[in-house]
Amino acid sequence: MTISTELANTIVDPFAYANGDRVDQAFAQLRREAPLAVAQPDGFDPFWVVTRHADILEVERQNDLFHNGDRSSVITTIAADKKVREMMGGSPHLVRSLVQMDNPDHMAYRRVTQGSFLPQNLRVLEARIREIAKGFVDGMLAKGGQCDFARDVAFLYPLHVIMEVIGVPETDEPRMLKLTQELFGSADPELNRTGSVIGDTGTGVDTIQSVVMDFMTYFMAITEDRRANPRQDLASVIANGQVNGQPMGHLEAMSYYIIAATAGHDTTSSTTAGAMWALAENPDQWAKVKANPALINGLVEESIRWVTPVKHFMRTATDDAELAGQKIAKGDWMFLAYPSGNRDEAVFEDPFSFKVDRTPNKHVAFGYGAHVCLGQHLARMEMRILWEEIFARVDSVEMDGEPRRMVANFVCGPKAVPIRFKAS
Amino acid sequence: MTLEPWKVWQCRTCGYLYEEEFGDPSEGLAAGTRWADIPADWVCPLCGTPKSDFDMIQL
Repeated sequence: MTISTELANTIVDPFAYANGDRVDQAFAQLRREAPLAVAQPDGFDPFWVVTRHADILEVERQNDLFHNGDRSSVITTIAADKKVREMMGGSPHLVRSLVQMDNPDHMAYRRVTQGSFLPQNLRVLEARIREIAKGFVDGMLAKGGQCDFARDVAFLYPLHVIMEVIGVPETDEPRMLKLTQELFGSADPELNRTGSVIGDTGTGVDTIQSVVMDFMTYFMAITEDRRANPRQDLASVIANGQVNGQPMGHLEAMSYYIIAATAGHDTTSSTTAGAMWALAENPDQWAKVKANPALINGLVEESIRWVTPVKHFMRTATDDAELAGQKIAKGDWMFLAYPSGNRDEAVFEDPFSFKVDRTPNKHVAFGYGAHVCLGQHLARMEMRILWEEIFARVDSVEMDGEPRRMVANFVCGPKAVPIRFKAS
Repeated sequence: MTLEPWKVWQCRTCGYLYEEEFGDPSEGLAAGTRWADIPADWVCPLCGTPKSDFDMIQL
């Protein structure tokens, strides 16, 4: 079965994700009528759209059958793919991070930093992260009852935490935020480097590549410093990390920094901003948590499901396979639609309602299997601590204007969440 | 009767911790459920890694 061109165009359209409802309706229709089917939007190679929760888990679980790196790991046009391959000596990737790797490299590279993100090693950060969270809540309260929660708190708090973990000086945080937004917001005229809607492939790829080069230039200096003067930070782990007894390759090391310095905060920022948006629109849910702070862990999980900041990843079949009764051919490209999996009516009762006490809540927002998000424990901890501090000091919130989302189809979330609030 | 000390098991893939003392009620594992009493086909709730790929750790 083939998905209509109109629906296919919608699920890759960055403006559909900015709208929210358009993409939700498209995936709901696909789950009903064509839960695993081939799409071919204008200008794209055909790919399977995996919309059901169970099928996403099945693909992610079989990481040797469905590879990350054989073709582009994010959806891309035929023209952009061709241009990237020309620039990168045949590779479909501009960077080579864990996201673009498969075994045995994936496991070997993941091991380099895995210890830094284990729950027992993160516990030592709790007091410092709470101090940072308190500072941001102080700043929010100082605004006198009104703020743009996205810009004033959600974008900055996870940024500050991960930059401390990496070892990036505070003075460079605005630069890291700008580069991150230029990368993930490359389709958003308010965020990208050109300040306009990018219509042609050449400019699009060049713009992203120029952001990547800026990140690399920055982290090359950090690498040199940490090789000469190692510290207790993630940058030192990456700079001095070895894989199979050899120093990491240059592209791989730079890519490691880039993923930590982008995905390490942007996804948490989106989730935090989206949670405040949902709470402001659902005062009954705010009241539940206010009355019972033990629900904060539930709020965090529901926020992650609700926002699902990573909208998709692509996989490539390494062999002929069968999935949900369909024949997948070797080389087929698979679009894992995480927002769809997290609204799957077969798994989530009343999936379009925001419920802080949703149990169970086995969302797929962090992925599953070998590629499950490395930073998930840090993300949960950061959000739990921030909400503990907010609920202790804020009585109520409501929307104070029109919230807005980024224009993007890969990693995105709210870019403005104007609220009014009453301090306790 | 001598009680065995509570043990902690960790998923090699994602770092999920199973602490016997607290169990994991969201997984249907009540507080105090011993690792040995969890079915062999149980998988990590966060990433699907098999029970056999967990390590016992000291916190």
